[in-house]
Amino acid sequence: MEQLLRLIMAGLPLIFAFGFLVPVIAQGMEALGWQAPFGLGTLTFALIVGGTLGLIAQIRNRWI
Amino acid sequence: MTNSTDLSALSDKELRKMEIAIARKHSGMFPWEIIVWAFGNLAFWLTLWPLVIFNVVPLWLGFVIATINMSLVYLPTHDAQHDIIARPGQKLRWLNELVGHATSWMITTPFQVFRVTHLQHHRHTNDTELDPDITSMASGPVQAIWSSIRERQPDGKRANDYFAAVARAGREDLIPISIFYKLGHVAILCVLAWSGFALEALLLWWLPYHIAMTYLTFFLSWAPHHPGNEQERYRNTRSWKSVIGNIGSMGMQYHIVHHLHPYIPLVRTPAAYREMRPILEARNCRLGDI
Repeated sequence: MEQLLRLIMAGLPLIFAFGFLVPVIAQGMEALGWQAPFGLGTLTFALIVGGTLGLIAQIRNRWI
Repeated sequence: MTNSTDLSALSDKELRKMEIAIARKHSGMFPWEIIVWAFGNLAFWLTLWPLVIFNVVPLWLGFVIATINMSLVYLPTHDAQHDIIARPGQKLRWLNELVGHATSWMITTPFQVFRVTHLQHHRHTNDTELDPDITSMASGPVQAIWSSIRERQPDGKRANDYFAAVARAGREDLIPISIFYKLGHVAILCVLAWSGFALEALLLWWLPYHIAMTYLTFFLSWAPHHPGNEQERYRNTRSWKSVIGNIGSMGMQYHIVHHLHPYIPLVRTPAAYREMRPILEARNCRLGDI
C-alpha cells in the first residue's frame, strides 16, 4: 500500500496540474471574462498552460 | 516577584524550584478557550463553503476568512499534542484526541504525525540532524518565508525530515497515513475543481492553506527559535517583541515558557512568563524587550 501511495506521490505534479490547475485556469478565465488566444477554447488553452506547467514541475520536481 | 528582582545569586536548585512552582500555578486547569477555538474555527470554515457557493458570502471575503481559519487550525492541535486538555487515562482524554483529529486534517497532516514530530522537536530543538523543524531556520525573515514555500515543493527536505522523525519514534505506520492525507487533499481539490468549484477550492482551501503554513512556520517556528544555533535548554528558544503583537504572532512571544514547561496551556503562557522572567534572566535566557 505504501509503495502504491509513494508511486502516486511521485506523479503528483502532473496529477495536480491536470486535476486542479487546468480547471482553475479555465474557470478563472471564464470568471474574468478572458478569451483564449489564437481562437482556442478556454479548456484547450487551460490544458496547454496547466499541462506545460505540470510537466515542467514534474521534471524539475518543484513548482518554483 | 517583580521584573526587577535579581535572582542570580540563587542556586540552580532554588531557581528550578521557583520555576516549577510558577509553572504548576499556570497549568492543570481545563483550557476551555482552546476547545471553543478548535471547534468554532472548524464549524466556521465548513459553514463558509455553502455560504460562498450559494453567493451569500462573496468569494473574496470567503478567501480572507478561510485564510484566518487555516491560520487558526494549528494551535488547538498543539495543546492536544501536549495532552493539555486531558492526559492519558483521564476522563476527558477523548476530547483531547478529538480536538487533535477533528481539526488537523484541515492543514492536511494527521494529528499523530504532528504529535510525534513536535515531541521530537522539543527533544532535539535546533539539532541539525534530529529536529524535524530545522528546515524552518533561515538567516532572516525574507529567507524564512522563502524557505517555508520552498520546503512545501515536491523536492522539499521537510517532508523527509518528518518521515525520518516518525520512523525514529517507531511509528513508521504513520508514513502511509501521512501520504494518504496529502493525496486525499489533492483528490478533494480535483473533484471540486472538475465539478465546477475550482475557484472555491482554490480560494477557500488551497491558497489559504499555503498562506497559513507560511505564516505558521514563520511565527511558530522561525521567529521563536531564530537564529536556531543553540541547543541548551534555556537558550534554544527565546522571548521576543513581535511587531504585530502577541495575538498577531499567535502567542509566540512567550515561546520560551512553552519549551520549558509544555504542559502550560497556550493562553496562560504570557502570565507565566511575566512571573518567571526574573528566573529566566538569572538563567541567562534569550529574552526580548517584553
